[in-house]
Amino acid sequence: MNNIYMPDLMEVVEVQQHTPDVKSVKIKFQDPALAESFTFRVGQFGMFSVFGAGESTFNICSSSNWKGFLEFCFRKTGKVTESLWQADEGDMIGFRGPYGNSYPMEEWEGKNLIFIGGGIAMPPIRCAVWYALENRAKYGNITVLYGARTVKDLVYADELDKWAEQERVRVIRCVDPGGETPEWKGEVGLIPHVLERAGVSAENSVALVIGPPIMIKFTLPVLDKMGLAKADVYTSLENRMKCGIGKCGRCNCGPVYVCKEGPVFSFEQLSRLPVDY
Amino acid sequence: MIGQLRDKCRRLLQDGAVQVVIGYGGASTPDGMPHPIFVRRPDDVDKLVWNDRCMSNLTTYLTRDAVKALGKPAIVVKGCDARALVVLEQECQIDRSAMHVIGMACAGVGSPRAPKCASCDVHVPALADEVIGEAPETTGPADSPYSELEEFLKKSTVERFAYWREETARCIRCYACREVCPTCYCRRCIVDKNRPTCIETSATVKANFAWHVTRAFHQAGRCTGCGECTRACPVGINMRLLNQSLARAAEEHFSYRAGTDRETPPIIGAYGLEDKESFIR
Amino acid sequence: MSEMIAQEALPGLVDKWLAQGKRVAGPSVVKPGYCLYVELESSAQLALEGFVRPRNSIKEFVFPRHETVCRYHFSGHTVETEDCDPPQSEQVIVGARPCDAAALPILDHLFTWDYEDKFYTERRKATTVVTLACQTHDDECFCTSLDLGPAAEQGSDVLLLAMPGGYEVRCLTDKGKALFAGETRTAEQAAVVPPGPPVTVTPETVMTYLQASYDDPMWIDLALRCLGCGACAYTCPTCHCFDIVDEGTAAGGCRVKNWDCCQFAMFTQHASGHNPRPGQSQRQRQRIQHKFRIYPEKFGVMLCTGCGNCARNCPVGLGVLSTLKEAAGHGPVEVGS
Repeated sequence: MNNIYMPDLMEVVEVQQHTPDVKSVKIKFQDPALAESFTFRVGQFGMFSVFGAGESTFNICSSSNWKGFLEFCFRKTGKVTESLWQADEGDMIGFRGPYGNSYPMEEWEGKNLIFIGGGIAMPPIRCAVWYALENRAKYGNITVLYGARTVKDLVYADELDKWAEQERVRVIRCVDPGGETPEWKGEVGLIPHVLERAGVSAENSVALVIGPPIMIKFTLPVLDKMGLAKADVYTSLENRMKCGIGKCGRCNCGPVYVCKEGPVFSFEQLSRLPVDY
Repeated sequence: MIGQLRDKCRRLLQDGAVQVVIGYGGASTPDGMPHPIFVRRPDDVDKLVWNDRCMSNLTTYLTRDAVKALGKPAIVVKGCDARALVVLEQECQIDRSAMHVIGMACAGVGSPRAPKCASCDVHVPALADEVIGEAPETTGPADSPYSELEEFLKKSTVERFAYWREETARCIRCYACREVCPTCYCRRCIVDKNRPTCIETSATVKANFAWHVTRAFHQAGRCTGCGECTRACPVGINMRLLNQSLARAAEEHFSYRAGTDRETPPIIGAYGLEDKESFIR
Repeated sequence: MSEMIAQEALPGLVDKWLAQGKRVAGPSVVKPGYCLYVELESSAQLALEGFVRPRNSIKEFVFPRHETVCRYHFSGHTVETEDCDPPQSEQVIVGARPCDAAALPILDHLFTWDYEDKFYTERRKATTVVTLACQTHDDECFCTSLDLGPAAEQGSDVLLLAMPGGYEVRCLTDKGKALFAGETRTAEQAAVVPPGPPVTVTPETVMTYLQASYDDPMWIDLALRCLGCGACAYTCPTCHCFDIVDEGTAAGGCRVKNWDCCQFAMFTQHASGHNPRPGQSQRQRQRIQHKFRIYPEKFGVMLCTGCGNCARNCPVGLGVLSTLKEAAGHGPVEVGS
């Protein structure tokens, strides 16, 4: 009988350091049959293990169109991520997934996409951006507004450049006031303010907003003023998880299990949930 | 006694001398144990009760944020409970002057009587701001607080180890013992630490043993023998015996008994040049 | 007309099952004042009267406090993992209370929800539950408020009911029939079961309240005396929250699944330091919400069997029943009031 707690073994193919405390890791399945058959949808997450340290929950931040490997991105914060920080090419880590619901990419077809992210929230946005770019004809204009506290804290900064080169893609990057360097050519300001003055059209649009609660709190009114309905603004929630599959009873936000009915929610859905996250 | 207590508490609240009375209130069943209650309105003092089923040591609430947020407290204590106040004050966890301590004279609690009551020498609480009630008629001098320990120590080490194996095997790691204890107030207990993991969280004999021995060590020279840990344990682990062992060591080697004297520095946590250990010099 | 066994036949059956290599668990007085369900080594340990119900529940025989879910060994940069299986031996739980047995079909929903937890389901398959109808109850019992009672059959394979000379035996499932095949004789009478506790709360009323009143300040006062230990959840027949951790050495170790409790401060603590439930009031609310709103919304059954263990084991007497009474007395609360 299948052991739902048993991770699959993955080999670390590449480690990229983005900031003083953020790395992304590319892993591939040890089992060639799994490497072939594995699929997921952007927005889903996995439970990634360092054996001996434990498991941690991360969004799968690679596009679902990329075969043979997965990527995830983490900030060095606790026991598991401190161990993950030591991971090198050739090391083995564990993976369970894909879990959770996903971005409704099919529902978003034909729409303009607005992606807004802060800091370590870029990875769960990155997978959706790449997916949309790889199905370019299906989506309208793509706007990516990404900010971090300082220039050093920008994650996947090199990919932002690549996106900006694509057709009908506008990339706005910003840092908090005081976070800029003399060479900085992007915006300076808090994300809600940068969004307000960016003059992005909300016509026929959906937005994906991910970031710290305070950023979301002040960004939502701006999107509302722009004319976006709550049902058209999405986010990916984070709650502490252990099993990832709806058993351990830890991640629920009021009556919903974030690992099963989330982590992707529209703000219309969230408005009907208690603040239990 | 209960009339006096209620009147006193009513006045304290009405005068604004305290914002909350931490006391014993109605049980959920007629013969049940009164619960801890937190009375804030003068009219509600009639909810306070006092009887020989008032088991809880209410001093454990004095270090909890949600209770501290209620304001200056009056607290109802038995003699055994009040001793924890001394330890908490020595360890700078409470401001003794910022609370009103009402001691209740007590002939013993529990039925059958709790084991701690046979050796009680604080039927009239010491160190309270005031005492309600009078010394009960006692039937003779108190037993030694270490009588159970002395009996136990007659067993061989093999027998004793087998006893503790069996006791700790039942532990479900609910930490009721830790949470009822007034002197277990660490915001992050050693068992919750994972960098590194000092004590595994699994309910195995090995890890349970480590938990109980570590907690006993952390209580050495601090445990006042209120017995709440043992009462709270759903599976009846005899932690009181472990704590007795370390308390007796404190008396024998350092002439120290936790919770009896506000002036004496605590034996663990206070250092002086007169200490007998050579490394301190 | 009924089937029955003599009083002395029951311990004999226990010894027979043990001799057959089955694991047998039942109530036992482990020390004065403490009756717990434990694994029995002989029928001499089995306690059948003199107490209302054991302090713990039978869930630990299908959902252990601690179990290994996989193993790992290091060699250089590589890791080898090893699958684990739950023990395969048959087990019998004898003398279980109906409120303990009824928890099992309730828990079945969760442990098979989309992903089947073999550690639970295989143990469950290998377990035969022999319940003993209750002859007595105390003021903390409220099984009747949850559509159960002293002779409830949910989750039981065989129900024993005390009667003069022995026990009436009602085999409720094929497993039960197989266990007692050839062991019973017919009797003229059937057992008489005393009534259970009077119904005191209506869970549906509570559920309606919970759906409407998440932010009710009632939780702040109610939870003031809660100490945040796990005595309620761990002795509860239906509480099932757990933790997954790795335990081992530089050579390797085990990934284990341990009971966890929503009342612990660290339960929902994020690595960032943020805690969605920073105080006891939020954590108590979560427990009641989970049992009387979240679980029934998902699975159609309350996550409670009215056994009263929470109230009896709580060091400060805060049981689910007293909280339910408080909640049932409140109507829906207007947002912002």
